[in-house]
Amino acid sequence: MDDSVQFKQLMRCPVCFSRDIDVLMIYAGNSAHYCPKCSFQGQESEIRGMYRDIQKKFHWMTKRLTLEEQRRM
Amino acid sequence: MMHLNLLHRPSPGPNYPLYRRQQELAHGVGLKVTIFLHYQDLFDPAAVRDALRDREEFGDEIALAFHSPRGPGLSVPNGMIWLLSDAKKREVMQIILSKFREVFGRGPASVGSYHLDASCLRILKELAPEVEAVVGGCFEEGVRVFHGCNHSWYLFNEGMPWNPWYPSKTHALRPAASEEDAGGVVAVPHLLRDMSLAYEGRNDFWASHPPNVIRGMGNDASFCPYDLNLIDQFRMQEEWNGGYSYYNSFVSVPWLTWNHNSEYPPEVAWELYTKFLDYLRSLKAQGQVEDMTLSEYARWHKKNRPIGTSEVYLAKEMLYGSGKHYFWYIDAGRRVLIDPTQGGSIGDLRPYAGRLALSTGPDTPNRENGSYPFLIQSQHRTGNSHHSSDGARTTLLLSHGGEVIDLAKIRTKVAGIERQSGKTIMTLTPAEFAFSDGLKGSVVTRYHFIQDGAIGIERTLAGLSDPTAELTLTEYFKAAYGRTEYPEDLHGIRLGIDGADAREVDYDYSGDRHESSGATCVTAAVPQIKTRVELVAENGRATSGACQVGHLFSPYFTLSLNYSVKNEERIVTWMTLSNLSS
Ligand SMILES: [Zn+2]
Repeated sequence: MDDSVQFKQLMRCPVCFSRDIDVLMIYAGNSAHYCPKCSFQGQESEIRGMYRDIQKKFHWMTKRLTLEEQRRM
Repeated sequence: MMHLNLLHRPSPGPNYPLYRRQQELAHGVGLKVTIFLHYQDLFDPAAVRDALRDREEFGDEIALAFHSPRGPGLSVPNGMIWLLSDAKKREVMQIILSKFREVFGRGPASVGSYHLDASCLRILKELAPEVEAVVGGCFEEGVRVFHGCNHSWYLFNEGMPWNPWYPSKTHALRPAASEEDAGGVVAVPHLLRDMSLAYEGRNDFWASHPPNVIRGMGNDASFCPYDLNLIDQFRMQEEWNGGYSYYNSFVSVPWLTWNHNSEYPPEVAWELYTKFLDYLRSLKAQGQVEDMTLSEYARWHKKNRPIGTSEVYLAKEMLYGSGKHYFWYIDAGRRVLIDPTQGGSIGDLRPYAGRLALSTGPDTPNRENGSYPFLIQSQHRTGNSHHSSDGARTTLLLSHGGEVIDLAKIRTKVAGIERQSGKTIMTLTPAEFAFSDGLKGSVVTRYHFIQDGAIGIERTLAGLSDPTAELTLTEYFKAAYGRTEYPEDLHGIRLGIDGADAREVDYDYSGDRHESSGATCVTAAVPQIKTRVELVAENGRATSGACQVGHLFSPYFTLSLNYSVKNEERIVTWMTLSNLSS
């Protein structure tokens, strides 16, 4: 069997991830997940929204910086 | 010219077709691959047949992976060859190498691992002298990756070169100083890392590996310009390294299917990996990139990058958009990181000159930790002061009218890099300062890296608003040896100072500070890492100095030299790292 399918539903805890730690949440049914390391639990949609928040610190995440542009930085 | 190694390894069972798809993708864009076969792949006729055909048709190299050492007659519970005892390393390598020879009729020219310590390297060369190249370490993986993997990833190999190197016989992460010191192979790092963010945080996110960037959430679904930006930043280094740059990528199959490091479907990883390879293809078409197999690269390296070649890296942070610069310098004597955002403080210092011998394994006192120790690591050890005392760092203190300005609180950038024969000079933009009584001016810092010699820290005072003013400038060095964020036992360290109150003091955690007027030289001997540090004022220009033992709430030692400086005057402090026994 393909081991990877077990990861289809898995998500990392956004609270632990914001502390730079990868922790896999445990699926509790009805699209809800809880974290075994911290007290956070939430719905998949909420968790994905928190991932978006985490990415807000990367101001240049969607910016292509060519070699010439990097030379001028 | 950027030299490129594309590295793949098969995955068994249902993942095998994904590895084949990876191979087809690479060959489709005209890039050759170094295929690392695991021990168990050597028993799989399809894996062997496909590898032979890829070698024949596309010029791929068939190499040997020490990852996952398991299969018929072989079981290594920890799965990591460098974490075995000497005897076990030998036994496992013998089994794997003899199977490889049985299948291919000769031994491998290239071998891969996450880390190969000095004893692995010695045994490997003994059992397989034909090995020319190894994937020998993961740049700066250690404390942060350990935390990041929820304290479950016991790979500690910080303090190594970011680019290919000649591993020393006594510490495989230290670049060899000479032919006699060299372990007989060319090593390349497992991935190239972001030289800003690999210092600031998790370096397993920001690397030449598109799915790693997904893991770090640096992508917007299948849009991730960062993957290409990082390639270009490594290309930018050619300007200061004689036209040379290096890149590799080693994406294994589990990253290209559903995995626990991504909340995206596998299509996203495939699309980003495809774009990444396609960009390398386009650079190759423009003559900017040359793809090679790993052993081809090793032969090129031996011909063109002699042992002892120094290198620099100017990092420009490009994900947060901070505008930060970092400057890295490496030679056989030390690896240094300058942090211009902290006024040009040293943020990381690895004293290779001490030539500390180190292997990993249960039969060594180092156990799992293969890192080359630091004297300064400002991320693990506080650096500039925050809510308690400061930690390991350097800085310049400017004193005037009872007020002290710490240069580490003034942001600068790299203004210029000059690479001369045997010498590298790096100049920072002026650090503008203002005292509360209105006295203003600037300090220009210039670092002189003498190849395998001293580091000159030059400070020039300029633009003083009161040209008659005289400032006290204190060159400040605070350090502690270590390999992690936790303190080590500093007993045995001995500090020294010359001048009117010349003395030597033993490190006793007393917190005592010893000043001496007329001092021009301060020293620390750190026997644990066989290193002696010396700060000397050029032309005896300093007026006084101090050495200070730390205490248990601030376990460091501090060396300082004071200078009296007027406008347009310049001081130079020479920092020497040497082997304690010499
Ligand atoms: Zn959590």
